Amino acid sequence: MDDVLDEVVSSEDLEKFEKVFHEQLHQGNVTHKAQFEYAWCLVRSKYATDIRKGILLLKELFNSHAEGKRDYLFYLAIGNARIKEYNKALHYIKRFLEIEPTNQQVLALERQINKRMETEGLVGMAVAGGAVLALGGLVGLGIALASRK
Amino acid sequence: MSRCDFKIVLLGSEHVGKTSLVLRFVNCRFNSGTPYQNTIGAAFCAKTMHSNGKDLNIGIWDTAGSERYEAMTRMYYRGAHAAIICYDPCCASSWARLRHWLAELRTVEEDCKVYLCGTKKDLLDTNSTREVPEDIIATYSQGLNGHYLTSSKTGENVEELFQKIVDDCVADRDLMQKVEESRVQLAKEQEKDKSYCLC
Repeated sequence: MDDVLDEVVSSEDLEKFEKVFHEQLHQGNVTHKAQFEYAWCLVRSKYATDIRKGILLLKELFNSHAEGKRDYLFYLAIGNARIKEYNKALHYIKRFLEIEPTNQQVLALERQINKRMETEGLVGMAVAGGAVLALGGLVGLGIALASRK
Repeated sequence: MSRCDFKIVLLGSEHVGKTSLVLRFVNCRFNSGTPYQNTIGAAFCAKTMHSNGKDLNIGIWDTAGSERYEAMTRMYYRGAHAAIICYDPCCASSWARLRHWLAELRTVEEDCKVYLCGTKKDLLDTNSTREVPEDIIATYSQGLNGHYLTSSKTGENVEELFQKIVDDCVADRDLMQKVEESRVQLAKEQEKDKSYCLC
């Protein structure tokens, strides 16, 4: 499904904004805009290491640039949800809703995260259940082999 | 899980009512009680529609109009089959940026079908003054795929606009061929996923 938690940045876009950021970094003067745009690309990457890097950049922005706080909180929630750090993501959503309690985009994101936690929780349990069954089978086989002696 | 058959992108200056248009279309409601919230980056919505006996999944990317996001929202134009460029007929500045939006779109997605949408028709019908002359709009929309005056508050012409887009897409043979191909591809992938599944 094509949605905010699944859509992936193209590598050209990521490289383009990475270049701007690094040029500014080299000159010792990174603008909020460049850092935000680069971080926005990073949290939409398919690689967890990129996403984590994006989260660090967003945290730094959040602490230094009060004006863009709602953007930073929103993408911090998205970044964390994408690496399955759901509790952290929900924490950022809570902080966002303290500022804007009726924001539709954030409420939709919250619903989406809760849904994922639910389905992935079930999948996790099913895998664990399968392991228990397999283990049971091995034990049973062991007993059967032992009793044959 | 189903992928979207058509991708529609909404663009236009901030405060013209892109999000209200999408919410009216998808949820069939208009919430006059909610204060204005400027969209962060881009929001996604999906809806199933029917055209020519077919069910089609429509994915809509509602981009932020605020200039702060401009460099980024351009990324969401990519792969769009149709674009709705919104303006407010009672706000000349929202029209002034129209050429800009169209040029932006054309550089990224040359073949995208483009629809013009004048929003807030209910205000125009009651007491607001028109700032964008009708003849200018008529001239301009000639080169595009359609022009609609909509009201997200009353719902007027909203369904019609999206239905026209879907009908146009379905009538486009090349596009439908690609849609069929990607459906087949998706079914194959799902089949593959199934055989790897533990449970």
